[in-house]
Amino acid sequence: MSNVEAEPRVETGLVYAHGLAALLTLFLSVAFGILASIQLLAPDTGAGVASLGWGRVRYAHTQGIMLGWLANAFLAFLYHAVPILTGRRVTSARLGRWLFGVWNLMIVVPGWILVLAGVSQPLEWAEFPLVIDAFVVIGLALAAVQFLPPFFSRGLESLYVSGWYVIGGLVFTLLAYPMGNIVPEVVPGAEGAAFSGLWIHDAVGLFVTPLAVAILYFVIPAASGRPIYSHFLSMLGFWLLFLVYPLNGTHHYVYSVIPMAAQRTAIAASAILGVTVILVVFNLLMSLRGSGIVPADPALKFVATSTVLYLIVSVQGSLQAQMAVNQAVHFSDWVIGHSHLAMLGFATFAAAGGVVHAWQRIPWARYNARALTWSYWLLLGGMAMMVTSLTAAGIVEARLWQSDAPWIDSVLAARPFWVLRSLSAIPITAGFIAFLGGLMTGPRGAGLRAIRPAMHIDAVRDTSLPANPAGEPA
Amino acid sequence: MAAALAGVAFFVMSVALLGVWPGRVLDRQVRAMSPDRPLGLTAGEERGRAIYGAEGCAYCHTQQVRYVEADMRRFGAPTLAWETKFDYPHLWGTRRIGPDLARAGSVRTDDWHFAHLFAPRLVVAQSVMPSYAWLFDGAPDRPRQGARDLVAYLQSLGRARELAGPEGAARARQGCDCPDDGMAQMAFASPLNASPARARPRGSDVPAWSGRVDDTRGRQLYAANCASCHGARGAGDGPGAAALAPPPSDLSAHEYAAARVADVLWNGVAGTAMPAWRDYPPADLAALVTIVRGFHASAEAAGPDGLVAAGERVYAANCVQCHGQDGGGAGFAAAELTIAPTSFRTQRPAMAQSLRAVRDGVRGTRMASWTGRLSEPEIVAVAAYVRSLFAADGGR
Repeated sequence: MSNVEAEPRVETGLVYAHGLAALLTLFLSVAFGILASIQLLAPDTGAGVASLGWGRVRYAHTQGIMLGWLANAFLAFLYHAVPILTGRRVTSARLGRWLFGVWNLMIVVPGWILVLAGVSQPLEWAEFPLVIDAFVVIGLALAAVQFLPPFFSRGLESLYVSGWYVIGGLVFTLLAYPMGNIVPEVVPGAEGAAFSGLWIHDAVGLFVTPLAVAILYFVIPAASGRPIYSHFLSMLGFWLLFLVYPLNGTHHYVYSVIPMAAQRTAIAASAILGVTVILVVFNLLMSLRGSGIVPADPALKFVATSTVLYLIVSVQGSLQAQMAVNQAVHFSDWVIGHSHLAMLGFATFAAAGGVVHAWQRIPWARYNARALTWSYWLLLGGMAMMVTSLTAAGIVEARLWQSDAPWIDSVLAARPFWVLRSLSAIPITAGFIAFLGGLMTGPRGAGLRAIRPAMHIDAVRDTSLPANPAGEPA
Repeated sequence: MAAALAGVAFFVMSVALLGVWPGRVLDRQVRAMSPDRPLGLTAGEERGRAIYGAEGCAYCHTQQVRYVEADMRRFGAPTLAWETKFDYPHLWGTRRIGPDLARAGSVRTDDWHFAHLFAPRLVVAQSVMPSYAWLFDGAPDRPRQGARDLVAYLQSLGRARELAGPEGAARARQGCDCPDDGMAQMAFASPLNASPARARPRGSDVPAWSGRVDDTRGRQLYAANCASCHGARGAGDGPGAAALAPPPSDLSAHEYAAARVADVLWNGVAGTAMPAWRDYPPADLAALVTIVRGFHASAEAAGPDGLVAAGERVYAANCVQCHGQDGGGAGFAAAELTIAPTSFRTQRPAMAQSLRAVRDGVRGTRMASWTGRLSEPEIVAVAAYVRSLFAADGGR
């Protein structure tokens, strides 16, 4: 236990840097998304400028959200959480600066430049070109070197579930990313599509979800001051998720030529996944008892809502993987609604909660709880508006496609829903601006002062520690 | 440690179960069901494919006809594994804002594609597709290499299976060896290409309609679907007209038999940008027939008898090989032509239109200018003659 510190040092500078990078890349990614949505309503927007073509902008949007906003937010959270979970420092601050530089300056920014210039891969969730993919693998490896050794150094006897998710997520993604980005380039057609399908789900299920769920499991007890409801359920959920999630991938190609046995496996796994998420969310919601439906602490607000959204999106996913539903809504706006419920709802709310939680504990950071509360409500309302309108559009499109109506009718029928979706950009953007305000305005150290009464903390170090969220051994 | 194991072990398991194993099954299928030497892509088509990928086309248009009745009705036979074996990486797609393109290769002409890429709303008024004018030098008939390559690629979609023909289908069915697999059999059960816009030979099975005709609906349909090429008043001067060769017909300069218009709407005009409109019900098409016939200006007098008789001699000497002895468009050379020659029995051009066609030819077709070969009196005579062949009941 010699290298375990009583009050392990958190690299607050890197938390801050990644938090800022997360927000900057978020604003740009959201701008790309808004532009793409407007181009569906006014298709000649940006006409004549090849780099503003709808397809390229869409690539920049999805990759920016995943590798810019979410990845940076997760990294910010990891710098805060790993020292607390392990009682040890991360590997090196210098490595941290390299990781920051590689991630933002060798992946996100050049990736955007290249896809807008027409250099990309037409693979879902893998649009950045191969040269950038190489840097992502390097970045993931650097992250593994930065965050995994504290878990594996000798002396750590028990590990809280968030730690399991962090390790599992980083290791799995390091393997899955090259698979999804490289294999379809060397294995053609239907065979390659099988691997594509795996990556489409692994990106969300084994990169975003573990890190987001790690945040939920960490912030809920840490912010509420109460231990998690059941450690047994948390570990059961972990093992089930890592077993079942990877088997879902083929559900992206239902009714294709991929062997039916594989499709059915994936569909069954999708159903089991829904049940698993119910278990996990039950555990998390029970842990939230006493915090109220909308907790007072802004980080807890985001995290509690993320938990509920996780349940909804997963049950929706289980449903839409079933063949009867899939046959109708596959390829429609329903799927876009689903992906935004997952990424803008579940993942963004978890990431926001994680960032706010870590930010509150940086003694020199500004903090504005009122702005964060505004942000929460604006984002919740905007996200709900977007997801509802797209889901409704999907149902309308599905019905028209089943009928004999000409194709153009489905495009015309979607239009009013697309208008609503584009209008949802207003609360969403306002929400993110308020979020930025929550982290950039307000008195310095206000975060610490806000949490101290709930945490009964007397001493303040470089970073204030909540009560050990582990409670009991795993 | 166990967590890392979870990461690695379950990854390996999922890749093996849902990646490697199906890949092996598909590989076997591809080898068993594929034709011996399916046609791959040329260098230009490969460049076009790269443009298709880089512009995000696969995020609006899929290339995957599913084993689902709704897909098969609209697009045709489900995509077999071997059909995408040349795609590194695949372009199956996950979203349809526009229609599936797996079998788009034999549906539209090149001139339509160039117009559509340059400015989609020239030919599909309500499309939300972005414009790719930067692939052109200012006009749809001045494509740069990128536009040429992209159109070449689009015309290759679904080609391999068409070329494989019935023999290829038989071989695939044999290689599949799956008589009890209902889903697999769907790949052979439907027409290969069911695109409602695909042009068919003149005269193929036009459905009858004898019910009410809704003029308002007809006008709406015309404005939404036809005006961008044929013009708001049918004069062949729509925004897209200049881009197309042959240009859209001047509907106001012809008197049409109802059967002729019905045939064109149901079958398109093969070899031109005029598609079939089979995704509209017969009631709608009947309404359009009324609208189209209504563009025709009032009847002109026929030419004097002597002129028509002289024209008959000119016609017999010069025109019968394509337009046929009775003017029905089925001359012995007609089989060689991509675009069927006009049948004067089902449509009567106005005199000015007739003269223009003989003097200047019809751009984009094999109807050449006859100014050099016929004297002016001969031209006037034959232009008057062809106007005398019209049979209003649309006799063939």
